[in-house]
Amino acid sequence: MSTTEALAKMAAGQSATSVDVPQEARDKARQLGWEDGLIELALSKGHSLQEVWQALRGGVSGEQAKQFLAGGQMVRPEFNWMKVPTEWGVKARASDPELGLAIGDLNIGTYGDIPDTWTNRSEIARGSFPNAIVEDMGYTIFEKAIVWADCIVPRYEEAIRDRWAPATDLRWTSLAPLPEETEKAVCQVMTELSERSYFEGALLSGWLPQISYGYLELKLFLSTVIYDLAKMSEAFRKRALSNGGGLGLQAPTDYMRAAKEARSYPELVAILFVNDSAQLTFFKHGDLFAQNEFERELYALCARDRQRHMDYQVDRLKHFLYKMPERREEQNLYFNKGENRLAKDWSDAIVNEPLALLLGGGRDKMDAGMAKLAEFRKLQIKEYVENLEKATFFRNHLNGRFEDILAN
Amino acid sequence: MAANPTTESGLDLSWLNLYDEPASATPGKKGMTLKEINLGQYGEVARKGGDMTTRLRGVHPRPDAQRFGPNYQSKADVWSENCVMLYEEAVQRQWSSARDIPWDTLQELPDEIERAMCQLCTMLTEVEFIAGDVPGQWMPFVSAQDFEAGLFLMSQIMDEARHTDVFRKRALANGGGLLAQGANLGLRTLIEARDFTEMSVLMHVQAEGFVQSMFRMGELIGQTDAEKRIFRMSAQDESRHLAFGVMHLKYVLDTEPERREEIHHYLDKAEGDASGGGSGDVTFPPVFESLCILLGGGVDKFDEGLQKFLLLRKRQINEYLHRLEVAGLGDRRQRVGPLFAQFVDPV
Repeated sequence: MSTTEALAKMAAGQSATSVDVPQEARDKARQLGWEDGLIELALSKGHSLQEVWQALRGGVSGEQAKQFLAGGQMVRPEFNWMKVPTEWGVKARASDPELGLAIGDLNIGTYGDIPDTWTNRSEIARGSFPNAIVEDMGYTIFEKAIVWADCIVPRYEEAIRDRWAPATDLRWTSLAPLPEETEKAVCQVMTELSERSYFEGALLSGWLPQISYGYLELKLFLSTVIYDLAKMSEAFRKRALSNGGGLGLQAPTDYMRAAKEARSYPELVAILFVNDSAQLTFFKHGDLFAQNEFERELYALCARDRQRHMDYQVDRLKHFLYKMPERREEQNLYFNKGENRLAKDWSDAIVNEPLALLLGGGRDKMDAGMAKLAEFRKLQIKEYVENLEKATFFRNHLNGRFEDILAN
Repeated sequence: MAANPTTESGLDLSWLNLYDEPASATPGKKGMTLKEINLGQYGEVARKGGDMTTRLRGVHPRPDAQRFGPNYQSKADVWSENCVMLYEEAVQRQWSSARDIPWDTLQELPDEIERAMCQLCTMLTEVEFIAGDVPGQWMPFVSAQDFEAGLFLMSQIMDEARHTDVFRKRALANGGGLLAQGANLGLRTLIEARDFTEMSVLMHVQAEGFVQSMFRMGELIGQTDAEKRIFRMSAQDESRHLAFGVMHLKYVLDTEPERREEIHHYLDKAEGDASGGGSGDVTFPPVFESLCILLGGGVDKFDEGLQKFLLLRKRQINEYLHRLEVAGLGDRRQRVGPLFAQFVDPV
């Protein structure tokens, strides 16, 4: 059917009497000075309700509509949107041909202005021309210092470049049976990792609607973090269910509850910093725990993803402390809480025994495994402190539970 | 606190006694997908009651687990029968707006065409931004018992980020820029939803359905290979979101038929009381006018563009009704709002 035929058929299918005019259209018509009955007149002359609606939304006055319907000239749109004073003539080009046209390449001219405070409460695209009257969309984060880190601009594209698929990028067929208790230890570790990853992804997702469009690139980057965490959760679950084991006992909930309890974004990311860093250390040293090449590869992929997350954590904290030095001491409260709760989780037998079994090399070598795990915990804390220091944050006193781990 | 009392040796080791059903999933044709691990006590059919902790389905519960606040206890509230397959497809079909779009095919366009394309992209980057926030808003309410639905929503967040970025890139890559902010695009209705199914039917089925119908006309709207590819790739992603929404609605109507009128109520609001154009409204003048210019081929062919726009609208509405019919809401055809009714094809 040709366009003309289709339209003729469409027009024939409706008449003025069969159309129910929406109240909003009538209200708009009244505002624009349309006399009562003018809408019906337009419909009876074969104009569709959609055309009437577009005329109303386009601001056609009652007088203009009346003249047109009396046989006058059609009212042409003025295309005011073509004349808005935004920056024009922009030709973004890929600065790194390997990476392609990256979001960082768009930050030129006024489009690269990322303000310290964003004032628009709508979902406006940064750099577009604001509508005079818009509804408040409910964002609560309008300060760059709270969320921003320069590194997220390149990290976003790197996350996309480095994407992997658990279903096909891991060598599932290479998995071979392990001693029963070793397999169970792997499964318990995978259960915990899967839960923690899923939880963090869901938690961060819930914060997205709080962040205003001024910090678009940050939201894009956080989306990659959320997706990475989904993939990790998926991969760990798959590993637990693919080699004769299963899912183990639920992870302890103290640390995750602390993150869930956060009342502000700085508190949230400070608490997450603690485990993000600890997990990065774990994945970087995954060879210590891996029982086969499959797990080594899995941990290496997770380490690459987690490194990007950690880069954000460090850069954000550094930027935040630089911009808001008066909030430095407050951060100690959140880090202390995160350290306390994570250390509590670490002390749980369900968490430390499977790791000790893997480190020791069997149930009969648990003492040696526990000793190695104690050293590994020290390493996690050491690298965590180093990450904080990279962000110019120096903890004079770690939480007592962390101090105890370091002392023993 | 350990989950069980400590043994004489000082070790708990109770976690060694949890595996009464050994699982040995093997990869299928598409690798080790979620379908392959949907086994026995770990499968979605074995889902028991809800759980307000972080416990993933099939994981043994801790007696001392704390609750994390309310979430949906009933599977029907968030479930879609195709979410397992859709998530795996999403992971396989991730693409890069930086490298998978042939940006070098962009060419200088007549000023009015470039402006129309930039205006359309300004609107789309705005719409896609909200489309990432909305599933994010609901993630904390999706029980970990139904984690596959949650994984799918997290993949959608990633898709929407890419769409937000690709339309911004297009607006800023060819000698143009961003233009007028959208307004009254029906996006508030998505954020205002107070129920997952309400959100899903408005966002996945209605708004993303409208966007999908438009992307499928990308061959007409796009002026260069780069633009046509942007629309094709984005449409591929939107298909998944739409499929999730249609099958979620179907699941709700199949398992909780008493919710039918409630769902009609949400649609009545979106089609009638709100902007009238539905969620993701394309009748906002700058969007409508830019689409007419692109579809017609210039300002001087605006009338021709208008006719094609009306066909686009007709296509949007009829595809929308067809999707609702597939979901089991075929009676929507008789109740659709007036601005939609004018486009409905006779049965």
